[in-house]
Amino acid sequence: MTATVAPSARAKSTSRARVRRRVLVFAASGLLALFVLLTASLTTGEMPMPAGTALRALVGLGDSGDVLVVQQFRAPRAVAAIVAGAGLGAAGCVLQRLFRNPLASPDVIGVTGGASLGAVALIAAGASQTLIPVGAVGGGLLSALLLGVFAWRSGLAVTRLVLTGLAVQAGLAAAVNLMIVRFPAELAGSALQWTTGSVYGRTWTEVWGAAGAMVLALATALVLHRRLAVLDLGDESAGALGLRTSAARLQLLLVAVALASLAASLAGPVTFVALAVPHIVRFVTGPPTAASLGLAGLTGAVLLLASDLVVQHLLPIEGLPVGAVTATLGAPWLLVLMFRQSSPVQRSHA
Amino acid sequence: MTDQIQTQGLDLRYGDRLVVGGLDLTLPGGAVTAIVGPNACGKSTLLRGLSRLLAPSAGTVTLDGTDIHRMSARTLARRMGLLPQQPVTPEAITVEALVRLGRYPHQRLLSPWSAADQRAVDEALERTGTTSLRDQPVDLLSGGQRQRAWIALALAQDTELLLLDEPTTFLDLRHQLDVLDLVAALHAEAGRTVVMVLHDLGQAARYADHMVVLKEGRLAAAGAPADVLDADLVRSVFDVDCRVIPDPETGTPLVVPKSSAVRQPAASA
Repeated sequence: MTATVAPSARAKSTSRARVRRRVLVFAASGLLALFVLLTASLTTGEMPMPAGTALRALVGLGDSGDVLVVQQFRAPRAVAAIVAGAGLGAAGCVLQRLFRNPLASPDVIGVTGGASLGAVALIAAGASQTLIPVGAVGGGLLSALLLGVFAWRSGLAVTRLVLTGLAVQAGLAAAVNLMIVRFPAELAGSALQWTTGSVYGRTWTEVWGAAGAMVLALATALVLHRRLAVLDLGDESAGALGLRTSAARLQLLLVAVALASLAASLAGPVTFVALAVPHIVRFVTGPPTAASLGLAGLTGAVLLLASDLVVQHLLPIEGLPVGAVTATLGAPWLLVLMFRQSSPVQRSHA
Repeated sequence: MTDQIQTQGLDLRYGDRLVVGGLDLTLPGGAVTAIVGPNACGKSTLLRGLSRLLAPSAGTVTLDGTDIHRMSARTLARRMGLLPQQPVTPEAITVEALVRLGRYPHQRLLSPWSAADQRAVDEALERTGTTSLRDQPVDLLSGGQRQRAWIALALAQDTELLLLDEPTTFLDLRHQLDVLDLVAALHAEAGRTVVMVLHDLGQAARYADHMVVLKEGRLAAAGAPADVLDADLVRSVFDVDCRVIPDPETGTPLVVPKSSAVRQPAASA
């Protein structure tokens, strides 16, 4: 997506030392931003408190009222946003490379819809809260399976996958809405989460389960990164390098599905984050590397946490879900992307 | 190991369509083999079959007597490299990052980048004259430079056998010769076995020790270029009237089409 720069200027700036420095600066500023945002989300709310008090309350020190507010309400919500954002960022990064399509993201290929439906189905059936991530991942996998079945005949060709995914996503989102209408009592409290995406009211039980699984999924994605890089060469070259391309693509797809589904189990079908994050990372650090996968996770976490803060405190409307902010930002972003894609200078990489 | 590829009764299909049929071939190890033939005669398909990218619907491909489909993908990739006709260049990738991917078959899932890997990459860049381009994005290179970068990837793979699918297509004459000279040098220095698909019969005769001529997926002729390439063969395979004279520079066969050489199907019918 990086715009073409004059060759001579580009030659120097892509030297590896320079890229490494950019990665480090990006990572450091991302971590700093995350810390500032986290502190802000722990201190602000109906009971504002100084940063020191909030951080002490986080570890259980100080006024018991402060401890309760920070530990039981603010912290799980913030951590949920961080974990879900990281999963979405990394999932988008993997999917856009795997599909060789800058518009690919879990909410485009049906994974988010499947995860939401899985979670909603479990809630409607009266299952306990701890089972929700399981339902989400199951739903995500099922939607990926559905996608695979529909797109299999074309040998999992990229355009077919994307088009089929769009249809699957639309169908699943409609099914979620049907469930909410059919089971109003069971789903009343969380309808917004499962239609627009929200991290409101998350509890530690949900957060820890999903976070643990997320760490595993992220580690797997990093381990498989080399295969992803070889797949970038196309099936012929990748095959000649000894990569079993279908198996590798399936493994990476499963990891991306797990990342996106776990994110959806915490935040619902949040749009925009998975789509935008890989582009932001690429804009700063250039062509993708293993490091950009990690940076995508970090950027996603920062983005979702920041969006959630905006929703909570900066907008005059009460109770707005975070997905509404990301979608509002996402629509113009998508237009910009399409515009840049169709500009004549841009080479097609389909 | 002599790096000899043999096929027996090889059938290659895309779906129901038989592209290569009943092929019995021996490609000598330690030699340069050129595969020639008209468009759509199955040259590229044969290369895909030889490199395990396409499974035969009948028959076998063996490397030094072992069926390549009984070898693991990784084992084969350590012995045989392939440069496809139109390789996919990942967006904005630098030359060095591209060449590093050639080390994939030598790396384990969690093994870090080793000194041996870096040495192989440095040598491949050096050997193809792309060292000064290592930090350049591949998609901004000229056609000739890009082809060198891709050959460097295949060299970093460090294989005894190198399969090249039309390595000179889309290149001007100077860069065609540049690539062919590089291939000849790789063969001469390290005794590498090279199998390449070429279009230009004169270039094939110049640079190859062994020639395989295909027509409609079947073997039309095979052997040393001087023994194989004559006017009758060119007429029967390419439907072109010509004279075959010794190349004034090298003495290898040179195909000179007659002035109204292309046989019009309407006229011959």
